[in-house]
Amino acid sequence: MEAVYAACVGLLTFSGVFLCLRGRTFPVVMGLTLLSYAVNLFLFSSGRLKLEGAAILGTSFSYTDPLPQALVLTAIVIGFAMTAFIVILAMRARADLGNDHVDGRLPPQPEMKPRRKKEHA
Amino acid sequence: MSLFWIPLLPLIGTLVPLLSERFGRSACALFTGILPALALAMALSLSPQILQGETLQQSFSWIPAMGLDLSFRLDGLALLFCMLILGIGLLVILYARYYLSEQDSMSRFYAYLILFMTAMVGIVTANNLIQLWLFWELTSISSFLLISFWNHKSEARKGARMALTVTGAGGLALLAGLLLIAHIVGSYDLSVVLASGDTLREHAAYPIALVLVLLGAFTKSAQFPFHFWLPHAMAAPTPVSAYLHSATMVKAGIFLLARFYPVLSGTELWFLIVSLTGLATLLLGAYIALFKHDLKGLLAYSTVSHLGLITLLLGMDTQLAAVAAIFHIINHATFKASLFMAAGIIDHESGSRDMRKLNGLWKYMPYTATLAMVAAASMAGVPLLNGFLSKEMFFAETLHQVALGSLSWMIPVLATLGGVFSVAYSTRFIHDVFFNGEPIDLPKTPHEPPRYMRIPVEILVALCLLVGVFPGYIVGDLLSSASSAVLAGNLPEYSLSIWHGFNLPLVMSIIAMLGGLVIYYNRRHLYQFQAQFPEHDAKLAFERMIQSLVAGATRIHAFFENGSLQRYMLLLLLFALVLTAGPLMDLDTTAGLRPHLPIDTVEITAAVLLCLSALATMIWHRKRMIALLTLSVVGLIVSIAFARFSAPDLALTQLSVEVVTVILLMLALFFLPQKTPKESSPRRVVRDLGIAALLGGIIGTINYAMMTRPLTSISDFFLANSKTGGGGTNVVNVILVDFRGFDTLGEITVLGIAALGIFKLIARMRLFMPAGDENGRPWTRDRHPVMLAVISQSLLPLALLVSVYIFLRGHNLPGGGFIAGLVTSVALVQQYVAHGVDWIKARLKLDYQWLIASGVLIAALTGLGSWLFDRPFLTSWFDHFHLPWIGEFELASAMLFDLGVYLTVVGATLLILANLGKLTTSHRPTQPESE
Amino acid sequence: MSEHLTILPILLPLIGGLLLLLPPLATTLERQRYGALLVAVLTLISAGLLLQQSQTEGIQLYVLGDWQPPYGIVLVADRLSTLLVMLTSLLGLASLLYACAGDDRTGAYFYPLVLLQVMGINGAFLTGDIFNLFVFFEVLLIASYALLIHGGGKQKTQAGFHYVALNLVGSSLFLFALGILYGTLGTLNIADMSTKVAALSDGEQALAKAGGLLLLVVFGLKAAMLPLHFWLTRTYASASAPVAALFAIMTKVGIYSIYRVHTVIFGANAGDLAFMAQPWIWPLALLTLLAGSIGALASPNLRELTANLVIVSVGTLLVSVALMNQAATSAGLYYLVHSTLVCAALFMIADLISHQRGKAGDRFVMSRKVRQPVLLGGMFFIAAMAVAGIPPFSGFVGKVLLLQAAQTGTEMFWAWPGILLSSLITIIALSRGGTTLFWRRSSDKSQAEPASRWHLAAVTLLLLGAPLMVVLGGPITEYTAAAAEQLHQVPESLHLLLPGGES
Repeated sequence: MEAVYAACVGLLTFSGVFLCLRGRTFPVVMGLTLLSYAVNLFLFSSGRLKLEGAAILGTSFSYTDPLPQALVLTAIVIGFAMTAFIVILAMRARADLGNDHVDGRLPPQPEMKPRRKKEHA
Repeated sequence: MSLFWIPLLPLIGTLVPLLSERFGRSACALFTGILPALALAMALSLSPQILQGETLQQSFSWIPAMGLDLSFRLDGLALLFCMLILGIGLLVILYARYYLSEQDSMSRFYAYLILFMTAMVGIVTANNLIQLWLFWELTSISSFLLISFWNHKSEARKGARMALTVTGAGGLALLAGLLLIAHIVGSYDLSVVLASGDTLREHAAYPIALVLVLLGAFTKSAQFPFHFWLPHAMAAPTPVSAYLHSATMVKAGIFLLARFYPVLSGTELWFLIVSLTGLATLLLGAYIALFKHDLKGLLAYSTVSHLGLITLLLGMDTQLAAVAAIFHIINHATFKASLFMAAGIIDHESGSRDMRKLNGLWKYMPYTATLAMVAAASMAGVPLLNGFLSKEMFFAETLHQVALGSLSWMIPVLATLGGVFSVAYSTRFIHDVFFNGEPIDLPKTPHEPPRYMRIPVEILVALCLLVGVFPGYIVGDLLSSASSAVLAGNLPEYSLSIWHGFNLPLVMSIIAMLGGLVIYYNRRHLYQFQAQFPEHDAKLAFERMIQSLVAGATRIHAFFENGSLQRYMLLLLLFALVLTAGPLMDLDTTAGLRPHLPIDTVEITAAVLLCLSALATMIWHRKRMIALLTLSVVGLIVSIAFARFSAPDLALTQLSVEVVTVILLMLALFFLPQKTPKESSPRRVVRDLGIAALLGGIIGTINYAMMTRPLTSISDFFLANSKTGGGGTNVVNVILVDFRGFDTLGEITVLGIAALGIFKLIARMRLFMPAGDENGRPWTRDRHPVMLAVISQSLLPLALLVSVYIFLRGHNLPGGGFIAGLVTSVALVQQYVAHGVDWIKARLKLDYQWLIASGVLIAALTGLGSWLFDRPFLTSWFDHFHLPWIGEFELASAMLFDLGVYLTVVGATLLILANLGKLTTSHRPTQPESE
Repeated sequence: MSEHLTILPILLPLIGGLLLLLPPLATTLERQRYGALLVAVLTLISAGLLLQQSQTEGIQLYVLGDWQPPYGIVLVADRLSTLLVMLTSLLGLASLLYACAGDDRTGAYFYPLVLLQVMGINGAFLTGDIFNLFVFFEVLLIASYALLIHGGGKQKTQAGFHYVALNLVGSSLFLFALGILYGTLGTLNIADMSTKVAALSDGEQALAKAGGLLLLVVFGLKAAMLPLHFWLTRTYASASAPVAALFAIMTKVGIYSIYRVHTVIFGANAGDLAFMAQPWIWPLALLTLLAGSIGALASPNLRELTANLVIVSVGTLLVSVALMNQAATSAGLYYLVHSTLVCAALFMIADLISHQRGKAGDRFVMSRKVRQPVLLGGMFFIAAMAVAGIPPFSGFVGKVLLLQAAQTGTEMFWAWPGILLSSLITIIALSRGGTTLFWRRSSDKSQAEPASRWHLAAVTLLLLGAPLMVVLGGPITEYTAAAAEQLHQVPESLHLLLPGGES
């Protein structure tokens, strides 16, 4: 099972990193979200995987390691706050700079098909 | 009577001009003079002891960690320089009183001047290497300020910058040299260093230390090839040129050579570098001086050449040469300072310094002319003047040199040549300026200067004469004590008499005299010859160098820092990749010994689904809506995974966060382009795929290696103490609100701050609401469908009930304040969606900002509560009560803490979503002040 | 109260910031101002008392929730952390003072955000728990995001997105690293970790090493270490003056974390992993110096120049980390305090200058004369000399101490040229900039109103450090030396840090 789990974490990291390297704000935000999923799973697994061992006292005989779960909870909340902030920042950037490129200015690329940005911004 | 008053008095004196300016110019000059005069008096009062060969020392501890003491020493050398610095300084103060015009700020000038004086006195009396360097740098700074005194002039600014850069660079080299010396000797105390010459010379690092120190000295004393800054420092007012750039500051480098003569000299390396540099400087300066039409330019280059002469003397391996060097320091200071002052007077009274215009001034200012001519004659080395004596000694010393082996005969010859040039330019100074026809269209008709402006010149010229005629009486003792300080005691036999009989040095002098006159007579041809060479301006060259340096820097900077996030991100990830990949190479076996969990089909399908939706998000990221949906699928499966691996709290949290996040992203997407254009080149896509794959692989590997290894952690403690110590059976929740409650406090603070920041972002956001979707289809008219309204309204109480339930059970079963908060806010957000902002505003009177603040505050105050029971912050308290009808129930401080979490979450989520929602309506959130 | 002193530098700004968000303080700007100033002063006082206490009574351990380490979270107030807390509180006060002159009007929540940022930084300095360090990193980061966009404008938004995106990736890497370290060491208390590292098996060692180096990446990003320094120039140059001044400490948080993690956990007593980061830090430190110097030469205006000088200071500090002996750490601490104060002051001075130079702003071009040439010129001159390391101001002490800390020939060979040449370039850049800003002037007069009393108070507060740190150099260097000793000799103080004994 561990192998599958690790593979999933790796793949989430892979797709997240790839999207983080894109040139537009929204894909980057999605990439960061994917990355945070990977991070949470990773951090969670630092307490090792366990079935039917929820750390509710009295429900079973051997419990999983509760500490990483608490850490992941904190991480999720903070991640939520951060995602919220950057997505609104992306909107603000679009509003201020007129486009949604991460650098706020469009790269000069002749072969690009005409962008339909002008209608809104 | 304390030694350290000598530098301290001038230091205090820097404030005097600033305070005394209001009493008028003369008063200002007078008051400014008082403290330096006192310092000089002190130095003189100490001189008897010094002249008997004593060395006074005094030291206070300052920063022991860096070996910096406030430590002073007064020996012959220091005394000599003190007298030069303070004495000439006083004359310059008097001179400047009449030189400066009404619009020049006198107080500023004097303040800088006295600051410089302090620094110089500090250098020569320093008994600690770092302290020496400290004052050394201070002279660079004060000379920068003085050169740029007329800072509206471009050449003043440029000259000042050049001087600062060159001497600053030298200063840093000197620092390195001194630190190296101290490292070798093991002490920063100058007396210790001076005592341990042999250890220094034998050490392997001696050559490096020597070169570094020499760099410092040569840059300061304008030795070839660093001589170019000095002539451009002449943009300073003439008193400054007279004081800093002839008499004192440029002598600081010479002083350094003399100071370290006992420990650094005496080696082949020293003789070669120092003597050759000196010789080159001597000749070059003298030669260039010949062609300068600017009066100060001529004097500047002659200064360069005389400094070269002194350096050459210090570079010769005879002790008499050192004596001659000291003697020439004195003489050059006197005649060159007076010459600069005379030049200043001429400039001041005739309005020009160009020797092609200045002619026949003898008629207009005979008195000044006489003084200037005497000084110039001394510069040329005419007998019965002090310049002659030291030059004789110099010629005499050049004769017994062996440093260059069989080529040593060149030294006297070249020295004579230098003498020839100096006679030539001195003659030119005299003849061109005071005779040679009539002045040519000068700005104003020249006349004698004010009485007091001449006094300094008179005093200095008088000294030239006196020293020239009665050398023994005037400077004999001073010279001997200074020389013995340089030579560490063993003073050679020498006589300061004017007549040594008809000997070779005298012949050399005579040759120099005649040759000089001949050259001056045939100067026309020489000028024509020189005219063939292009006049190169050091200032331009230097500026061009700096410019190109800046240009190069700008190019490199622009190349690397191109403002592209994608590059920076790539570098960050690559760096992480490189650093983590290394250790994994050492990891020989990936799998550990821990027994693996079995796999079943459900998990496989979930895993496959997860991977597929993640890949789908990646592949379809340009169709943003679709990508968003697949993304939410990923989140869903992640929360299922948490549930599967016995983390119910995580599952619930992940799920509820997922909902809010998706709502948020959809709202945002509403204002952003619906599609991403295809702009990444195939190469870049492949590159990014590669990086991503490698990182993913590494993370996966680490994760697998970690999971398959056994772990002994501190968690058993939590399991053991959760019920007894924390009063809850849900260990995760107890950790959150109790064991690691501090983390949670920080976490909700983050949430709160994020909400505030987002409010700042949304305020005044100039976003247009798109009229329709990207295909131009208009949004539906019916914004708040009745069905939805009814349902959501009926759902609200239920949702609130659920959240209360989740909140209460949190301590013992999965749940807790955070999840409850999210449920509540989702329910409320649904009302916004269903009824619109206005409907809610009318009914829901909640200031979310206050909600957030009070939420975090409640959590914090709960923590503070434990102080009442003298327990540390966040110590929990709980107890079980029994009430009739209700029965057994528990009260815990943790619940109060959790309430804080709940309020913060509700406040933050709603502050974000509600304000974002408002953007879709007519009224936007605005602020009193414009953002 | 004195037993709770350790946590006050965190709680005071937190509670103060929250109260500023609630009525009655939230209602008027006046109340916000004086409330915030009061809180800042109280924080500063508490920091001073804490410093004094930790000096007289030794390391202060504050056990949160009364859960003994290594199980609960602890705050550790030793000489190092208290010094930096003191510095942060001072900086916060200066920033607030400066903002009172009007920067607080240009956007909402300025005062609460500054206080919360101070709380985050102080927390990061004081905590003895590595996950708690992460939490405080996030607190100070989110606060800095919000402060960065304070005042609005295109540049801020643009720089903001870069800054936020990079730091979010950084936070993810941080969590990966924490996962690895917990997954191998099974504990989060820094002192406890330091006892466990040496005992790891080979495989776990490799993993822990990966985790530790990943942390180096994260801290390097915060500290603006090459090649992760690119975000800094634009961010700092676009932030409003009081914010930029406050940011001057942020890079130092990264340096501090490197000190903590890579000298305590992976330090001398880490077995095979001892000083594993050194081989990386040496070249990166020198390259950072180079990058900063190049940037300084290339800067077209004073703000960017100052930002690049911050990078230079980071490079210098990294050299002190690379040397990794007590003398170097002591020198580094002195230099850290000095450079933070001076760079913060320079950001403010740049702002004042650009206010008084009309539309030329603080760009290095000919323009009208500044309104108060003597005042601004004097302040700039002092700050410039200090930052360039020219005596008699604080810079030279730090630099000389650092040069002296290079003991062996090879260390000298690498460290000395880097530091000395960067100082020379700094001198060149500053003299070019300064002469242009103040002396290359057109005839027309400036109509700008003079700097307000608040401004001057703030700048003076910061600039006083330049001379004072030299005059009081003796005691200060003694203090930093003692702090360095405490840092390098963790085993001696383990019984204090882990009263319950090693788990």
